[in-house]
Amino acid sequence: MRRKIIDKLYDGIIALFLSIVGIIMIVPLLSVLATSLSKSIAVEAGKVFLLPVDITLASWRYILLRADLWRSFGVTFLATVIGTTLALIITAFLAYPLSKKYFALAKILGVFVIITMIFKAPIIPYFLTIKNLGLFDNFFVLVLPHTVTAYNLVIMRSFFSQLPADLEESAKIDGAGYFKIFWRILLPMSKPVMATLGLFYSVMIWNQFLHPILFIQSQALFPLQLRLRQYITAGEDLVNSSITELLDYNDVTLKSATIIFAVVPILMVYPYIQKYFVKGAMLGSVKG
Amino acid sequence: MGLKENIKKYWELYLMVIPGIIFFILFKYVPMLGITIAFKDYGIFTGIKDSPWVGLKHFKAFFEYPDFWRVFNNTMIIGFLKIVLSFPVPIVLSLLLNEVRNLKFKKTVQTVFYIPHFFSWVIIAGLTFDLLSANGVVNSLLGMLGYEPILFMQRTEYFRLIVVLTGIWRDAGWGTIVILAAISGINPSVYEAAKIDGAGRFKQMLNITLPLLVPTLLVLLLLQIGRFLDIGFEHVYNLLTPMTQSVGDTIDTYVYRVGILQGQFSATTAIGVFQSVVGLTLVLAFNKLSKKFSEGGII
Repeated sequence: MRRKIIDKLYDGIIALFLSIVGIIMIVPLLSVLATSLSKSIAVEAGKVFLLPVDITLASWRYILLRADLWRSFGVTFLATVIGTTLALIITAFLAYPLSKKYFALAKILGVFVIITMIFKAPIIPYFLTIKNLGLFDNFFVLVLPHTVTAYNLVIMRSFFSQLPADLEESAKIDGAGYFKIFWRILLPMSKPVMATLGLFYSVMIWNQFLHPILFIQSQALFPLQLRLRQYITAGEDLVNSSITELLDYNDVTLKSATIIFAVVPILMVYPYIQKYFVKGAMLGSVKG
Repeated sequence: MGLKENIKKYWELYLMVIPGIIFFILFKYVPMLGITIAFKDYGIFTGIKDSPWVGLKHFKAFFEYPDFWRVFNNTMIIGFLKIVLSFPVPIVLSLLLNEVRNLKFKKTVQTVFYIPHFFSWVIIAGLTFDLLSANGVVNSLLGMLGYEPILFMQRTEYFRLIVVLTGIWRDAGWGTIVILAAISGINPSVYEAAKIDGAGRFKQMLNITLPLLVPTLLVLLLLQIGRFLDIGFEHVYNLLTPMTQSVGDTIDTYVYRVGILQGQFSATTAIGVFQSVVGLTLVLAFNKLSKKFSEGGII
């Protein structure tokens, strides 16, 4: 009996603690959401915590009518779609032969890839290389450098090497070549790993900041994160402060709306892929 | 079977790896060769190949540079704080999560914990500025307690802590994934034995789970130490303000500013090389130490 009470108490304390941590993790988002939906006067008076005060969509209307934000959204969206597709194909093309023992280069190429995990070129030589490749201020600089990461390759290789070889063998006897086996048999069996790495690659490309700030100069090619920086932290005023007194939005509420705007796509994809990515992350870290 | 026959038999596989190999050569290996410019006087018009060799000139130069030491110190301090303060957090969270028996609650909490990992640093910086602004949540709470608002983001004394805390906020939950996996690999019979000996759940956590995690934790620590000087450009850059430059400028942000924006390619590459060498040395040294430590632990 006493043991039971102690156990209950123990469970309760842990649940309480974890809930508090969870709330701390989510509060910033809620507070920013509330700010984006509140009237600027209420925000300035410091009345807004987690719930909007004097609810208004004014900030959202303003943000959603900004053509430059949508343009950047488009650039990032395109880069993410093209980049993720390309990355998955090229990573899989490299990982598949590497998972075969009878492929003579499997070991050497494995080392070739792993070395890049340990030694990374400093930023300046990297910058000069990309420039020499003609990728400066070029849309493809948002895509091509993310084609393979060693970490993702290792995850995919170990996934492929676990798959049963029988199906492949029988296809081979039926006269199918490796490309056919790859598209028809291997890929359909690889949904979990494709979903995981698809998420990893797309989040990486969606959130990328270093490549854009190093290599993108024309406003027309600004991806979302650079635009967000312009809006959120670069200290640029979005609206003329002398007129904000008359409006329901101000810099703070607009920044908040922008933050939520940028987070929504990730939050929309997240629940669908969660079941896969935990496995993927584990596989990568245990074997990598 | 020779290579020739192997190629003949599996030519499709050889074709498949070509795009990937080209990628690694162009984007990883060619830049590595570019390290040579640290030992040269690189000029934009002469190119890497034709720039004259100058030996260790740039390395000597930055050691005499007061700016470099300021940046180096900032990087060391933030790196050190990061390891000391953020390393234990996912461990504690994992141990606690492992104790939760209500699976629905556990899953909900985990979902929330993982989310921040997917936010960009721009967003996180935006959230941070928002929360810590003059009329943000934190100052409103302080105001209710009767304190004057503090402009956290512009005060040098808070900057490093803010960097570390935002890092914890983003990645502590994500870090639990690996540790929870390691915990689930522990043989359940060890717990059974402990239960028979009368150990309660807290004692089991302290005397079984934690010690059996040590090898995994050592690997994780090793990886972190390897990235000791690699604070993360995007993270710091987005939080920096002109007012916090003096305490927050790290090697990465410095190299960006002086190297790329001001075109001092050779000098800042030397700093980059130095950074990599320090990182590698730390890993090797710690690796040796941890081997000694775990051997000593057996006796």
